[in-house]
Amino acid sequence: MSFGVVPRSGNQTLHLWPNHVPATKIGGGGGGSWRVAQRRREGSWSAGLSSSSFRTRAAVEERGFVAAKGSFYELLGISEGGSYDEIKKAYKQLARKYHPDVSPPDRTEEYTRRFIEVQEAYETLSDPGRRALYDRDLARGLHLAFSTRKRFDEELEERSGWRNHWQDQIAELKRRSMNKDAGENLSWGARMRRQRAESSVE
Amino acid sequence: MAEQFYTVASDSENTGDDKVQSAFPDLAIGIDIGTSKCSVAIWNGTQVELLRNPRNQKLMRSYVMFKDDSPSGGVSEELAHGEQEIFSGSAVFNMKRLVGRVDTDPVVHASKTLPFLVQTLDIGVRPFIAALVNNVWRSTTPEEVLAIFLVELKAMAEVQLKRRIRTAILTIPVSFSRFQKTRIERACAMAGLHVLRLMPEPTSVALLYAQQQQLSLHENMGSGIEKVALIFNMGAGYCDVAITATAGGVSQIKALLGCTMGGEDILQNVLCHLLPNFDTFCADHSMDKIKSMGLLRIATQDAIHKLSSQPSVIINVDLGDGNKVCKTLNRSEFEEVNSKLFEKCEKLIMQCLVDAKFTAEDINDVILVGGCSNILKIRSLVLGLCKRENLYEGIDLLEAAVCGAALEGAVASGISDPSGSLDLLTIQATPLSLGIRADGDGFAAIINRNTAIPARKDMLFTTAHDNQMEALIVVYEGEGKKVEENHLLGYFKITGIPPAPKGTAEISVCMDIDASDVLRVLAGVVLPGTQNAVSPFIEVRMPTLGDGHGWCAQALAKMYGSSLDLATIPKKLQQ
Repeated sequence: MSFGVVPRSGNQTLHLWPNHVPATKIGGGGGGSWRVAQRRREGSWSAGLSSSSFRTRAAVEERGFVAAKGSFYELLGISEGGSYDEIKKAYKQLARKYHPDVSPPDRTEEYTRRFIEVQEAYETLSDPGRRALYDRDLARGLHLAFSTRKRFDEELEERSGWRNHWQDQIAELKRRSMNKDAGENLSWGARMRRQRAESSVE
Repeated sequence: MAEQFYTVASDSENTGDDKVQSAFPDLAIGIDIGTSKCSVAIWNGTQVELLRNPRNQKLMRSYVMFKDDSPSGGVSEELAHGEQEIFSGSAVFNMKRLVGRVDTDPVVHASKTLPFLVQTLDIGVRPFIAALVNNVWRSTTPEEVLAIFLVELKAMAEVQLKRRIRTAILTIPVSFSRFQKTRIERACAMAGLHVLRLMPEPTSVALLYAQQQQLSLHENMGSGIEKVALIFNMGAGYCDVAITATAGGVSQIKALLGCTMGGEDILQNVLCHLLPNFDTFCADHSMDKIKSMGLLRIATQDAIHKLSSQPSVIINVDLGDGNKVCKTLNRSEFEEVNSKLFEKCEKLIMQCLVDAKFTAEDINDVILVGGCSNILKIRSLVLGLCKRENLYEGIDLLEAAVCGAALEGAVASGISDPSGSLDLLTIQATPLSLGIRADGDGFAAIINRNTAIPARKDMLFTTAHDNQMEALIVVYEGEGKKVEENHLLGYFKITGIPPAPKGTAEISVCMDIDASDVLRVLAGVVLPGTQNAVSPFIEVRMPTLGDGHGWCAQALAKMYGSSLDLATIPKKLQQ
């Protein structure tokens, strides 16, 4: 559903989490207090965490770790030439580790965030188009092309790709129903319509 | 009900042989409340077991009879109510089709031909639903009916497992909105059940499939080869499609798609075909008409079942007052009557393949579940689209969903199995897009459908007017490009936007879905070009709405017009 919607990209604002914060909290919802008021640090994935689910302490601990992991490749623990199968394998392994369903209960919040990062890395690198863009940015020294960046450009491309694909499938379906004229393979509805069309011609 | 005093921790020291059902005091049960049938299953220590009611049934008819003083479902009753009694107006059924819907919903309107009373005023409030008790229409709600039924299911399970049941995993249709999910949770709460998780039906089938793949791999000493399955699930009320990729016990839901379309629609199409004035036939809800309609429903249902095994069937029902239905229905006629429905099934499957970015050739297994899977046309169309000759075997089409739910119950309750058959992980995906109203009545999706859960995405918006100081964040769920096509989940107001020409202020909206599928929306003003918050952000857990969806959006529009609108930031300004 993109219609000229662009999350901000801009070179200076690459970030993973909305880094604004302090936040108030209304509406019910799981515990967690929100005292986080953290500034995004240029050039790190640092997270000014703004959800009750991610607490300050985790954020602080996390930051060092995450910042150390520069690229998606490093995050997944694969080489920059890694194949699709390697990416997939690495992703599944990390999902097993970080998915909140399997993570240690006391570290769910931290692991949830980690999982989302891994997911982001996997989604980017497993798609040849996105991976190429990411590699390009990486070569330029923009380590952190993140969710905000991709949403417009890439998804638009992706969507038009889907559309072509979708049209191919429709065309294929039409072709099939045309070729299989014998009536046997035609859907009943199609047969009836054809019969009707034929009889009305007569 | 004597409670067990074991804890899971002490039990885990036992060997697998010692494990009996009561060894898991907090083990969640799996419940599948179908539009037509429901079932309960549990992990018994070595495998999933379906529980039976006193009549030895694993699959129980979903209905509640309001005939006597105390309403009762068909679970615990020694004597089952006959079909004719269920269609007498005294029983309420199909609650899964009605729950969480407003009276402008076409599905609610289609339910007006049911024997019990469904009244609509078409103003966007919950419909009036009533059952006939001693010749009086007594009102109820879908949640209440579900709760009565769940109480019976729970009691049945407690007797058999000899322990108290507190938690459950329920399966739901893919197309359920978040609001409908809260209604299901509500019904469960009324029945004293805590919902550990609501699983879209095909994803619970995917879990069962993943387990089977895992076990067969163990036998063959295979490695983690990824297998892709397309799951098509069509029951009495809903049709769902999912594509799952599974390897080494991890299944990734690649795409999910569903709609409200099922056996009930097929039945109504055939009823319309047999009786052209079917829609108005029992509009007056007189006892005689209800009775004859009940007879016709039973005969037609039976005929549809028979058409799966024989080419034609005779329907012969006397409706009274000189009205008579006597007709031979053949299979091709049946398929013609439902041709639109079958076309919609095809579209769902194709769209799901596109969403998952797969082609038919990528699919390893085709799994068909749900009662409608017995219909030959459905089988052939699913196989045809997936270019396959055969369906996946080893999954029971009526029991698969509840078995998957019971497996999830065991996994989520932290049970581990020495044989590794609970070593499973499902990476769920969002079935519907989530976003806010922007650019007039446009829907700006922030989390697209089929995004892996947990998820967190944010997007920047700007003001629509010069010196606009406040903005409404109106949250919707759905796939429509216009907000009115989608489900309203809630709204809140952002204040303290620094006065500036329109299009310059920046409002950040972030959506967060955590591991338990809770949606939180965070929004606030940030200093343009930076990510610094101007004032504290607001976090709201969604949905916040009770009833009256239609009204809220209209009231907001009436009160504020477009003065608190948001706009998306055009692309060129980004660079």
